[in-house]
Amino acid sequence: MRKLVLALGVCTVLALGALAFTSRSAVWQGPAPGDSLAAPTLAAGDTAGLPGPRQPIFFRHDIHAGQYKMQCQYCHYAAEVSQEPGMPSSQTCMGCHLVIAGSDSSSRAEIAKVRDAHNAGEAIEWTRIHSLARHAHFPHMRHVKAMGPDACMTCHGDVARMPQVFKVNNVTNMGWCITCHLERNVTRDCSACHY
Amino acid sequence: MSKETNEEQRPGIDRRQFLTVAGVAGVGTAALSGCSTDRIEKLVPYMVGDEDHVPGVATWYASTCTECPAGCSLHVKTREARAIKLEGNPDSPINGGSLCARGQAGLQGLYNPGRLLGPKRRDADGSYRDITWEEAIAELAAQVGSAGSDVHVLSGAGAGSFTDLLTEWVGALGGSLVRYQPFDNEALRAANQQVFGRGDVPDFAFGKAGFILSFGTDFLETWQGQVENQRGFAESHGYHDGHMAKHVYLGHRMDLTGMNADEWHPTHPGSDAVVALAMANVILSERERAPADAGTLRSVLAAFTPEQASQESGLAPEAIRRIAREFASHKSLAVAGGIGSQHRGAVEACAAVNILNYVSGNVGDTVVFRGGRPAADGYGALESLASELDAGRVAVLIVHDANPVHTVPAATGFADKMAKAGFTVSTASVMDDTASQADLVLPNLHALERWDDLRPAAGVQALMQPVMMPVRDGRATGDVLLEVARTVGGPLSGLDAPSFEAYLKQRWSNIAAARGRTDFRVFWQEALGNGGLFDEAAPGADVRLADGARRIGFQRPTFDGDGEFVFAPYPSSMLYDGRGANKPWLLENPDPVTKITWQSWVELHPDTAASLDVREGEVVRLESPHGSLEAPVYVYQGVHPGVVATPLGLGHTAYGQYAEGRGVNALDLVSGEDGAGFLPYLSARVTLHKTRRYQKLAKTEGNPRQLGRGIAEAMPFAAAVQGQTPAEVHGGHHEVNTEREVEAIAGWGEAQRERLDKGDYQGEHPNWGMVVDLARCTGCSACVTACYAENNIPFVGEQEVVRGREMSWMRIERYFEGGEDGEGFSTRVVPMMCQHCDNAPCEPVCPVFAAYHTPDGLNAQVYNRCVGTRYCGNNCPYKVRYYNWLAYPKLNFEEPLPLQLNPDVTVRARGVMEKCTFCIQRIRGAQHQAAMEDRPLQDGEVTTACAQACPSGAIIFGDQHDPGSRVAQAAEDHRGYHILEDLNVRPSVTYLAKVQHGGEH
Repeated sequence: MRKLVLALGVCTVLALGALAFTSRSAVWQGPAPGDSLAAPTLAAGDTAGLPGPRQPIFFRHDIHAGQYKMQCQYCHYAAEVSQEPGMPSSQTCMGCHLVIAGSDSSSRAEIAKVRDAHNAGEAIEWTRIHSLARHAHFPHMRHVKAMGPDACMTCHGDVARMPQVFKVNNVTNMGWCITCHLERNVTRDCSACHY
Repeated sequence: MSKETNEEQRPGIDRRQFLTVAGVAGVGTAALSGCSTDRIEKLVPYMVGDEDHVPGVATWYASTCTECPAGCSLHVKTREARAIKLEGNPDSPINGGSLCARGQAGLQGLYNPGRLLGPKRRDADGSYRDITWEEAIAELAAQVGSAGSDVHVLSGAGAGSFTDLLTEWVGALGGSLVRYQPFDNEALRAANQQVFGRGDVPDFAFGKAGFILSFGTDFLETWQGQVENQRGFAESHGYHDGHMAKHVYLGHRMDLTGMNADEWHPTHPGSDAVVALAMANVILSERERAPADAGTLRSVLAAFTPEQASQESGLAPEAIRRIAREFASHKSLAVAGGIGSQHRGAVEACAAVNILNYVSGNVGDTVVFRGGRPAADGYGALESLASELDAGRVAVLIVHDANPVHTVPAATGFADKMAKAGFTVSTASVMDDTASQADLVLPNLHALERWDDLRPAAGVQALMQPVMMPVRDGRATGDVLLEVARTVGGPLSGLDAPSFEAYLKQRWSNIAAARGRTDFRVFWQEALGNGGLFDEAAPGADVRLADGARRIGFQRPTFDGDGEFVFAPYPSSMLYDGRGANKPWLLENPDPVTKITWQSWVELHPDTAASLDVREGEVVRLESPHGSLEAPVYVYQGVHPGVVATPLGLGHTAYGQYAEGRGVNALDLVSGEDGAGFLPYLSARVTLHKTRRYQKLAKTEGNPRQLGRGIAEAMPFAAAVQGQTPAEVHGGHHEVNTEREVEAIAGWGEAQRERLDKGDYQGEHPNWGMVVDLARCTGCSACVTACYAENNIPFVGEQEVVRGREMSWMRIERYFEGGEDGEGFSTRVVPMMCQHCDNAPCEPVCPVFAAYHTPDGLNAQVYNRCVGTRYCGNNCPYKVRYYNWLAYPKLNFEEPLPLQLNPDVTVRARGVMEKCTFCIQRIRGAQHQAAMEDRPLQDGEVTTACAQACPSGAIIFGDQHDPGSRVAQAAEDHRGYHILEDLNVRPSVTYLAKVQHGGEH
C-alpha cells in the first residue's frame, strides 16, 4: 500500500513538473514596457497561454480597465463603501452591451454569452481568484480610502494590462498584509481582522 | 429603510427573486466549514443589481413580531437579502428597541428545517403527498363552494388586516370565525365586564407604580406583553436616584416574576380572591380617600377579614394588613389573571383584584382602560366550535395560526371532534399537531416573508412587510383566501382585491385619506420605513363601578380528583404555548428559574421531595383523573409544598424534528372544562408515583448557592439610599487570608499593575467596558438569544448540555438565597459573560497566543491560532470560555438554518475555544464607519447584542476611557463591584448590586 502511495506521489510530482515546464514556455509575459494601453486582439481560444483560471466568459480587464480606462469601481461598485468589493450584476454588463456588440468575432461571441445568460436569467459563475479565509475580515473600503487611486493595484496587480486576471500577489497570506501594515505603521492587532 | 416591491416593472417576478445570494459573502453550507481555510470557488453575482442591497452592508427593514400577541415592532437586519437578526424598533411604544428571546427566535421559525416545501394533501390511507398550489387552491375552492355556510375557521391571528379579511371572507360565506389564543385573559375580561361594565383588557402602567402586587401573574414572562411590562417594571423597580418601587408576589410558585419580587409569599392555590378582598376591606376601612362610589362596597367587603383570608391562603393576617397598607400608601398596581391564578375561580379572583385596584384609586391611573388591546373570542367560543364539530355540523374547518390539538387539553377530545369535520384545512408552515390531522395543508408564509398589519395596542398600527424571498414554497393565507374567493365567486365575489398586498394597501390608503394625506406613495413609504403608525395613545376612559361589582365573592375553587397535590401547569417563558418548541435557540436557552433546557420536568418542594424520598432527576408519574405524565423531578424551594408544577410547551405529537417526542404536555392532566369561558389550567389534583427510573436533567446551573463568593451582590433599599457600597453592606472587607498571604497577594497585584504600563493599553485607545445593573436585570434571558443570533453560537442539543458543553457565551446565573428555615427564600440573577479582564488569567497560559489582550482593552480570542489546549478555559475563574468539543455547526445547523448566520462572525470549527468578544464585529464595524467619515467614534454608537436586546436596559456598553460615556459614569455608581475582585484579574465588567426592599440579607 505504502509503495502504491509513493508511486502515485512520484507520478503526480512528475506530471506537475511537466505541466509547469510546458506552461512556463507559454506564459503570457505581459505587454512590453512603454506599450500603449491598447489591448491585444485575442480570441477565447488563446486563453490557454494566459495565466490565471479560465473564466466562463473571456472577460477582458485589459480592454475595459486598460484600453477604455474604466474605473474599477464602475463594476466593483461596493469597494468604496463596503467590506466586499461587489461583483457587477449582469445588468451592469448589459448597460453598455445592449449597444456594444463587439468589434471582432471573438469579442462578439463573448458578449453574446453575457447577453444570452442575462436574457435567460442565468447567473454567470466566475471562478474566484482571490479568496480570503473566512476567519479573516478585509474591509475593502478602508483600504481604498487610505491608499487612494492605487489601492486596487497594490494587491491585485496591474489588472488593466491583464487579458485574463491571475493572482499576482499572495494576498491571502497574512505575511502580505503584515508587510504593508508594518511599512505604513498601521495596526497589527490580531483582532483588527480576526474575529 | 424600506422599499415597496416593484411589481409594476417586472410583472410576476419579485425583485428579490433576483437576489440569488452573491458568492462574495460565504453563505449556506459553505459558511459552515468554520474557520477552516476552505475557499469559496465561485463568484456568483446578482442578475440585477439592487439599490437597496450592497454586499457586505446590512439593510434594515421594519416589521412586526408575531411570536405572541403583544405586537412588538421589529427592525430586521438583512445581509445579502436574507434576514440574519431581529431587533426591536425604538419607535414602538410597546417594546422600544428591545425584544424578548421568543421574538428574536422568530428567525428560527423562518429558517426552520421542518418547514413544509409546499402544500400537501392527505390520501385515504392517511399519508401525505405533495401537490401544486393550483391543485391545492382548486381543492379548497371546491370544498368551500360545496360547503355552503358550514365553513368554520379557527384563527389565532391578532387583530389586523388579515383578520379583517378573514372575517369578511367567513362572513360572506355565512360561516363562523373563532379566534382563539391561549392565555387570552378571558377571566380578566369577564371580571372587568362584571366590575367595570367593560370587557376589555386595560393598559397596566408598571412604570408609574410605586408598589406592584401580583397575584400569581407572570407579567415578566408570558402575561400580556412581556417586553412592555418589563420595560415598565425596570422603570419603576430598577433602582435609581434613591427611588425604587416595591414588588410583592403572592402565588404558589416563584416564577421569574416572583424571583424579581421583594417579597414572595407562597399562598395556597385558589386563594387569591379572598386575599385581595381582605386587602380591599382593610384599605376601605382605614382609608378616607377611596373613590366616592367605593363606599357602597363597604358592606360587601366587611365579610372578608384578613383572618379568614389567612385561613384560606396560609398568609399571616398581619402580613395581609401590612401589604394592604403599603399598597394603599403608594401609587400602586395589582395584577391578576395569569396562569397562576387561572383556577375555576379566576373570574372572582380578577374581580377581587379589580376592586382592590379601584378602592386604592388605581383605576384610571396605573390601570387605564383605552379599549386598544385586541381580544380574541376566547376559550368559550372554542368550546362551542368543538361541540359544533362533535355534532358533525362542520363541513369545512380551516385552522390558521393555531394549534388546538396541542394547546387544548387532550381530555376535551378536541382532536377526535376535529376529525368529525367534513374537510380540515391547516395553514401551518410546519407539520404541527393539528396540521398532521388535516386533509389539506397550505403552508402560510412566515411573518417576515409576507404583508400584513397588526393593531396590538391603542394608537399602534404596525406594518409587516416581506424582508426577503420566501425560504420555502409557501403562500400567504391572505392570498389563498382571495384566490379561493375568485374561484368560488358567488357570495365571495365582493372580495376582488388582486392580492393581499393590494388589499392591505387599499386599507392603508383609507388611513392616509382619513389623515388628510394626499400622496399615498409617500405616506406608504414613511409608514413602511417607520414600521407603521405609532400615535399618542388616547387618554383612558373614565371607569366607574358597575352593578356587578357588588356581586363579588369568594368560593373555594374546585380541583378535580383527590390527589395529594394541586397540579400547576405554567407557561414556559421560552416556549410560550408550545410554539417555541421547534426553535433550538429557545429549547437551549435555559428556563430562567430552573435553568433546565430541552426537557420537561416536575417541580417539587424540598419538604415534599424528602417526605416522598425522591431526588432530582428521578422520573415520577403524575396521575390526575384526566390523564398521566412522566417527567423527572426538579426540587425547587420556590414552589408551594402542596403543589407540583410542570411547564407547558413540550409534548408535541408532531412539530418538526426538534419538538417531536420531546418532553410531556402538562395539559394532559387537566380537564379543560367547567371554566366559565376560560381554560382552567389550575384545576386538577394529582397523585405522585415513583418509577425508580432516573433521567439526568439537562440544566446549566452549577452550584445553586453562592457559598459566600459575592457573585450576585444585593443590598437593602435603606443602604442603597445612604449610598453604601456592597463592601460596606457586608460590614467591611472580611479577610480570610493570613497576614503573610495578604502581603503576597498585594505584592503580586502590584507586579501585575506594573505590567499594565508595558503594553499600549492606555492613552488614545478606547477601553471597552460594560456595566450590568442587577437592580434592573430580571433574568429574562433575552440577551442570551441575542448573543446566539449575533455571534453564530451553535446549539448543542440535550445530550451535550447534560455533558456540560453548552456554548452560550452569555448566560444568566441564578442563585438561591436563604430559605433554609422555610422563610425568606429569594433568588438573584447575574448575567455572566467574558469579563475582559485587564489582567486576564487566560492570556498568559495560551501556548499559541490565541488568547491575548488588544490595545482597546478586549480579551481577544484568535480562532485560527487556537489549537484547543483548553488551558485558558481551565484558568478562567468565571467559566466563560466554551470549547467546541464537536463540530456543532456542521452537525446541528441543518438546511436552511445556516442562512441565518451572521457573515461578520467566523463560524468556529471543532477543537477551538470561543467566548464573548464584546461583539467585536460591531465595534470594528462602527470604527470602520467612523474612519470612513473621518470622525471619532461617539459614545452610544457601538453596543453589544445583549445590551441592545435587553428590555430592562440593564446592560450599558461603551468606552471607559471616555469620562463622559454612559458606561464610565455608571461604573462610578456606589453599588458597583467586580465579581471575584480578590483575584485581581481587573474585569472590564462592573456589576451594580441588586437593591431589595425589606429583607436584610
